[in-house]
Amino acid sequence: MTAPLQHVAPAERARSTSFNEASARTRLDLLLDAGSLVEFIGPEQREVSPHLEIFDLPEQFDDGIVVGHGRLGGAPVFVAAQEGRFMGGAFGEVHGAKLTGLLRAAREIGSIPVLILFDTGGVRLQEANAGELAIAEIMRAVMEARSAGVKVIGLIGGRSGCYGGGGLIAGCCSALAVSEAGRVAVSGPEVIETNRGVEEFDSRDRALVWRTMGGKHRRLLGAADVFADDTVQDFREAARELIGLIGPFGLDRLRAEQGRLADRLRRFGACQDAVDIWTVEGVADAETVPELPADQFIALASRIGRSSRDAR
Amino acid sequence: MTSWRNNRAARDARIAAGAGLAHGKVVEAPDATRLLEAVIRPGDRVCLEGDNQKQADLLSRALLAVDLSKVNDLHMVQSGVVLPEHLDLFDRGVAKRLDYAYSGPQSARIARMLFGGKIELGAVHTYLELFARYFIDLTPHVALIAAVSADRDGNLYTGPNTEDTPTVVEATAFKDGVVIAQVNDIVETVPRVDIPADRVHFVVKSDKPFFVEPLFTRDPAAITEGQILTAMLAIKGIYAPYGVQRINHGIGFSTAAIELLLPTFGERLGLKGRIATHFALNPHPALIPAIESGWVRQIHSFGSEVGMDEYIRARSDVYFTGPDGSLRSNRAFCQTAGLYACDMFIGSTLQIDLQGNSSTVTTSRIAGFGGAPNMGADARGRRHPSEPWLKAGAEADPDSPAPLRRGRKLVVQIGETFGDKNVPLFVEKLDAIELAEKLNLELAPVMIYGDDVTHIVTEEGVANLLLCRTAQEREQAIRGIAGYTDVGRGRDRSMVALLRERGVIRRPEDIGINPLDADRNMLAARSIKDLVRWSGGLYAPPSKFRNW
Repeated sequence: MTAPLQHVAPAERARSTSFNEASARTRLDLLLDAGSLVEFIGPEQREVSPHLEIFDLPEQFDDGIVVGHGRLGGAPVFVAAQEGRFMGGAFGEVHGAKLTGLLRAAREIGSIPVLILFDTGGVRLQEANAGELAIAEIMRAVMEARSAGVKVIGLIGGRSGCYGGGGLIAGCCSALAVSEAGRVAVSGPEVIETNRGVEEFDSRDRALVWRTMGGKHRRLLGAADVFADDTVQDFREAARELIGLIGPFGLDRLRAEQGRLADRLRRFGACQDAVDIWTVEGVADAETVPELPADQFIALASRIGRSSRDAR
Repeated sequence: MTSWRNNRAARDARIAAGAGLAHGKVVEAPDATRLLEAVIRPGDRVCLEGDNQKQADLLSRALLAVDLSKVNDLHMVQSGVVLPEHLDLFDRGVAKRLDYAYSGPQSARIARMLFGGKIELGAVHTYLELFARYFIDLTPHVALIAAVSADRDGNLYTGPNTEDTPTVVEATAFKDGVVIAQVNDIVETVPRVDIPADRVHFVVKSDKPFFVEPLFTRDPAAITEGQILTAMLAIKGIYAPYGVQRINHGIGFSTAAIELLLPTFGERLGLKGRIATHFALNPHPALIPAIESGWVRQIHSFGSEVGMDEYIRARSDVYFTGPDGSLRSNRAFCQTAGLYACDMFIGSTLQIDLQGNSSTVTTSRIAGFGGAPNMGADARGRRHPSEPWLKAGAEADPDSPAPLRRGRKLVVQIGETFGDKNVPLFVEKLDAIELAEKLNLELAPVMIYGDDVTHIVTEEGVANLLLCRTAQEREQAIRGIAGYTDVGRGRDRSMVALLRERGVIRRPEDIGINPLDADRNMLAARSIKDLVRWSGGLYAPPSKFRNW
């Protein structure tokens, strides 16, 4: 056999590896300090979905999510990464329970941050009720962990985006980092088109999808706190930055978040399209925002992006 | 006394009948159906322009709406049966008989209509073959064509998607036929004259631009590691040893992977300038990185590709462009170029049988042939030598004296042993044969005949069929790279081992390729956005390919 072409250091690999394309395990390997990931309930334990067999559907030994702990810049973190390539990263019973358990452990310890690498279309339809319950449990677990002083950070840049219940959980996090390819919403493009018609939302108009739900728009709206370029290294740096930025959580912060959202609705409620919102925000040539390279966009976002540092 | 100018008189009568609806040559869109009723006679041969890309869509709707007492039983002679209206014509009885070449999106419905006897089928052709028949026995009485703009005299600008238009017009206008063009705009002066006014009899202004399908855009994000591996095998196992410079690529993901590996993997192998320099190829966006890296010297195109206009305009050293700067494509010339001036065709298929015959037909779909059989066929009339052509010829026939030995075109089939939805690529019997039996066709619709195929590439390796001396060797060479498909598992292990010793079958390790190196990081572009970046912002992909 010929030798592999690439013998490269982990940091170099993290810089050259697309977060969007990487598997859940590759993302965690390169995001955390090299070799520090310790998985809970790993695939060797074969905790598979109890429901998929009924539908004659393939299972995965980790049920599409990796949970564990590791180190980030030397400090301990809990991590969860959804595998978007298994059933679109959808939440099922086991999948959800693994994340709930991780968050509850973080709540008990109180000081170790949690990173959730979302990559999901929402609830797994074959496990409807169990999946919906899992979403509710996770949302509660996030809020309880935050109340106990845990920083819960969402990283969004996978191919399946962060939709359905995933969008709700992301909304509960202390802070989010998102890349251009990352999409965050509750109802997905096809769902909106099916329910409200193609005139309301053309799911095949992908430029429309991305400027409505994509990472750049979420960052400019203040829903995401940091914009990452699409490399694992950039997400690693974003996670470290956010851990340093997040302040204490309490009623004041929730009131501030409520105020931020009310203000957003007041300012942009009449806008028909994301480009209108960016224009109202004072972006010159707003229609060129989707074309901006990451560095230029980050400069723009830090100038006008609505910071939510005291909200959430 | 015998008259020898009857057809001309008939043509003049048709034009006179239509002239009442026209101002000069220009007819308003709402009058299009009345124009067709005036000009077309029952039983006429009509070419309704449409191929795998652009469509005379306004004129097809207008034709569908004709009064059946005036226009009926037409014989459609056209490249593409692509729009639903093309088949509605037969459902309504406007048309009865059909000779065509390609039916991509209508392949299932056309099969049902053929079974149901709704269509009287002449034959399914290749593009070049149908064009040839336009000049011999299928000359259109009326051609309904599409152009970007016209001036008041009827000079036409067909734009980057010129495609079939010059050929259709040549056959019709110079044999007493009537040419009717739909145009997006009527302008004072056309940017360039693609079709001179004296070949155009009527011009209809369309209210919206004619439809063009972005058929040749492959999103790099969808290329799999399996496809990358087959692409690496092709580059190192075929392009490099034969030194193939003049190439036509199919439209599949494996060939897109090859295009995206040239500036990375190909560069590392030191192949720049030695392979893949001249193409008969549509403006594939996936080729942008190779062009920008200086690999590609020249490309002639069958048609254009949506979003590539500005890039082409800025790279006229590479593409064929008019004095106005935009691409000039021409399907007939490019097909001829692919047949006679290319040393290799490489493309994907749906089914390959034990002798290497391949087909994209399944029992419920008749997609037609398009251009692949011309590209993927040895040109027996070729006389000019080239290194890959001579080398392939020598492999196939080592015993003949060199001055009398024909060269061979490299015809390569590339794919994974299990294709889309895990359907095996290799079969004992092609669905095409079953279809021919069901439809009573004299010929099974075989896309590329086994005796034209020189190599098959899968993730299991490269089979060089030129080196096979018997039908049995050929079968085992194919089984030997068919992996875990039923065909692959039916191999004779000792014979396959022998073929490998002789270099007929070469595994990845025989070629010096580690399958673990087949990584998406090897692609020069991993997304459509990367292609936009490579193009310096000149490539403007259609919205359906964006993820930003």
